[in-house]
Amino acid sequence: MIFIILFGIIFFSGCEKDDICVDAATPQLVVRFYDQFDTAMLKEVSALNVQGILNSDVFPVITNVSLSEIRVPLRSDGTITSFQITRNLDPDDETTADIDTLTLSYDLDPRFASRGCGYVMTFDNIDGVVSTQNNWMQGIEILTPSLTQNDTIANVKIFH
Amino acid sequence: MSRYFISLFFLWFCAVGLAQTDSLELKPKDTTYLALESKDTTAVIYKQKYGIRFGIDLSRPITKFLSTGYSGIEFVGDYRLNQKLYLAGEFGREKKTKQEDLYNFTTTGSYIKLGIDYNTYANWYGEQNSIFIGARYAFGTFGHTVNSYQIFDADRYWIPTDFPLGSIEATEFNGRTASWLEAVVGIKGELFANIYLGISARIGFLFGKAGRDTNFHDLFVPGFNKVTDASRFGVGYNYTLTYFLPLYKKAKKQKKIEEEPIPEIEE
Repeated sequence: MIFIILFGIIFFSGCEKDDICVDAATPQLVVRFYDQFDTAMLKEVSALNVQGILNSDVFPVITNVSLSEIRVPLRSDGTITSFQITRNLDPDDETTADIDTLTLSYDLDPRFASRGCGYVMTFDNIDGVVSTQNNWMQGIEILTPSLTQNDTIANVKIFH
Repeated sequence: MSRYFISLFFLWFCAVGLAQTDSLELKPKDTTYLALESKDTTAVIYKQKYGIRFGIDLSRPITKFLSTGYSGIEFVGDYRLNQKLYLAGEFGREKKTKQEDLYNFTTTGSYIKLGIDYNTYANWYGEQNSIFIGARYAFGTFGHTVNSYQIFDADRYWIPTDFPLGSIEATEFNGRTASWLEAVVGIKGELFANIYLGISARIGFLFGKAGRDTNFHDLFVPGFNKVTDASRFGVGYNYTLTYFLPLYKKAKKQKKIEEEPIPEIEE
């Protein structure tokens, strides 16, 4: 009897799960590009290129999901994140690139997920502005103002 | 992993304890029984001591000495009810600071455990040792302070070399309570007259949500020990030094051997 309990204790204490984070992550914002005249229609962006901007530093290119969808990481250590989004109607010619800026502002809401993950960031009251210096982006619509988990639906629509 | 080896130590201790009982078949097992058999008029009744036993857990001050970020004290006690049953309990206070990968927290709190111990060891004449199993109901109040944390952002786009800083200001999560059941197994040996050294290992089963509906989960509960994500079970141990205060003596109830007919050999 006692040995059964003892072995039970050894079993339970010896098999503690390694504390690796697998069940949570700071989510990314899904941006999709739509036709400005038919706002329900996805429209590909020619040679779409997205890079983060912070204090005049330009960050590496973010990998596209497709030419009409991109997932962008929001900054967890600030309440504003900016991206420069480039369209190039003639991909072979650098001089024809149109660069516009997407600026997102939001509130930070850190949430404790689990022992292994610790805190992940969630984002509330997301608002977005597109600068139209080169005027290829015509408008923006925020579909879901809060971002709490990685999702497959669009959070932000950009019309062009 | 270190806990695994600590657990093995328990097994080793108990194995030594049991091995001794097997090899010492020299003394008669029940002196009272023999006395009754030889002289059935004047039975020698051995009266056992009853009383209260109290002391402290030695492992907690030792852990405090050996590791940083821990301090704790536990008082233990039991009261003998009958031949095998003891009313037993512990109460204590613990403070533990833990550095996880991305956050650092301190838990402070108190707990009380009440229940019974059942001695499974048949002592030799005059011995007062025990190999016991027991059960406890435990209740604790505590609070957490998250001293600092970073945000788990696996993407690492904005800060390629580190995780973004969440906060370095302490955040308090106070007023937590927890209750749990404990299964106990242990041994107690009389070191000197009325001074006992004991060791026990425990499995706890935690009730409630363990703070999982709040913004900081109960990762450590004083008295219960570490709370894991996937399981309600926790393990703990103590290493007690206790003093037995005898209050009265009572004889062990004898089985009525007179009624059993002793077979006589006829020639």
